[in-house]
Amino acid sequence: MIPDELRYTAEHEWVRSGGDTVRVGITDHAQEALGDIVFVTLPEVGTEIEAGQSLGEVESTKSVSDIYAPLSGEVIARNDVLDARPELVNADPYGDGWMIEVRPTDPADVDALLDAAAYGKLTGG
Amino acid sequence: MESLLTSPLHDRHVALGAKLGEFGGWSMPLEYAGGGVLAEHAAVRDAVGVFDVSHLGKASVTGPGARAFLNATLTNDLDRIAQGKAQYTLCCDDASGGVVDDLIVYLRGDDDCFLVPNAANTAEVVRRLSAAAPPDVRIENLHREFAVIAVQGPQSKELLDDAGLRPELDYMAFLDTDWDGVPTTLCRSGYTGEHGYELVVPAADAITAWDRIFQAGERFGARACGLGARDTLRTEMGYPLHGQDLSLDITPNQARVGWAVGWKKPEFWGRHVLLTEREQGPKRVLRGLVALDRGIPRPHMPVRDASGETVGEVTSGTFSPTRRVGIALALLAPTISEDDEVVVDVRGRPCPTRVVKPPFVDRSPQA
Repeated sequence: MIPDELRYTAEHEWVRSGGDTVRVGITDHAQEALGDIVFVTLPEVGTEIEAGQSLGEVESTKSVSDIYAPLSGEVIARNDVLDARPELVNADPYGDGWMIEVRPTDPADVDALLDAAAYGKLTGG
Repeated sequence: MESLLTSPLHDRHVALGAKLGEFGGWSMPLEYAGGGVLAEHAAVRDAVGVFDVSHLGKASVTGPGARAFLNATLTNDLDRIAQGKAQYTLCCDDASGGVVDDLIVYLRGDDDCFLVPNAANTAEVVRRLSAAAPPDVRIENLHREFAVIAVQGPQSKELLDDAGLRPELDYMAFLDTDWDGVPTTLCRSGYTGEHGYELVVPAADAITAWDRIFQAGERFGARACGLGARDTLRTEMGYPLHGQDLSLDITPNQARVGWAVGWKKPEFWGRHVLLTEREQGPKRVLRGLVALDRGIPRPHMPVRDASGETVGEVTSGTFSPTRRVGIALALLAPTISEDDEVVVDVRGRPCPTRVVKPPFVDRSPQA
């Protein structure tokens, strides 16, 4: 499942554009590969993140993965619900399982990310 | 890549959308579509789960003196059990006392025993026993001749009763029976901490047995469970896994499975070195750890004391679905005792943990 309207990274994050902010999560492919997610560690609001750097972790019953910042900017919201209900990332990775919202340093960075077709090719879908 | 062996139930797993993983040279289900480790774990704790563990080894030891031969080589005391009982035991290296494998022996009679070793160690156990066996005792590797299906959970007895078996068995007792044409060894045993059974059936009958179990299991909510859930279930009980908590480098004294050693026996592999170590005290001890924050210890992570000194290493670690916290088994210096606080280095972050005596959950397979 790779929604057409989103942008993607090769590290399996998705980015949804919305005005001057973007929403970030991990893809269906990523949650499927991880298995049952039990902890999500996210940055606090106000944190400056840098493209390509780890911004948090997703831990499943069997392994842990970094979440990489798809672009640089400031964290303006985090999905606090995931602290208690990390399984939402499995159940609804593009919806209730979203992770953070970012105000990009350069909004044009979004256009440099993969589109759905390119990400689909990458994941063999 | 070397090609992997598959279970006689492989087609059933594929049909159920299993994610497959490698276990001791076999491609086996990790978890199933629509399930996942947490749901499968919960099914076993709350109702009943069904595991294909056909990768486990099978071997027969037969002929006059078979039982006496095993009693003089494997650690546990086979004279402590009667015919029709199974026993957890260890095959140790005679020189080092390290554990070649941990396995189950089914005692059919003085001249007929059946072994269930771990997948990866079966050939080595068979090799060592064959090399030492007296001429009348025959060791036969039957790894691919049989399937093993584990039915585990509080509803397992009712399920098997409905499926036409006679599950009225004491813990670790077994029964060789004709299950409507399927020659079946039904044992009251498992690796989950729940009331449960393991069925050994000929590989050719595996699908028949599996289908009968699921047909009867429908009304109990029986779920196919993968080896991912098997690992979280056994870790919650503190059961050691060979290759992690037991190995050629880890002795029974260190892993605290001395209860599976017949110390008074005149002879078993590793006796001399293990008795000496037992007297002097092992240089490290397997203990339980419970995370005090959201960290999850994983195998090989270093363990440190309050002063930052390394005092051991995690051998098994996972998220406990029952307690919703990280739990681990770790080999620790003998200076560390229960209730101490130690720190696991979780990818460079200190995770404080409490040293405890497993099991981590209040369950018993004897219930």
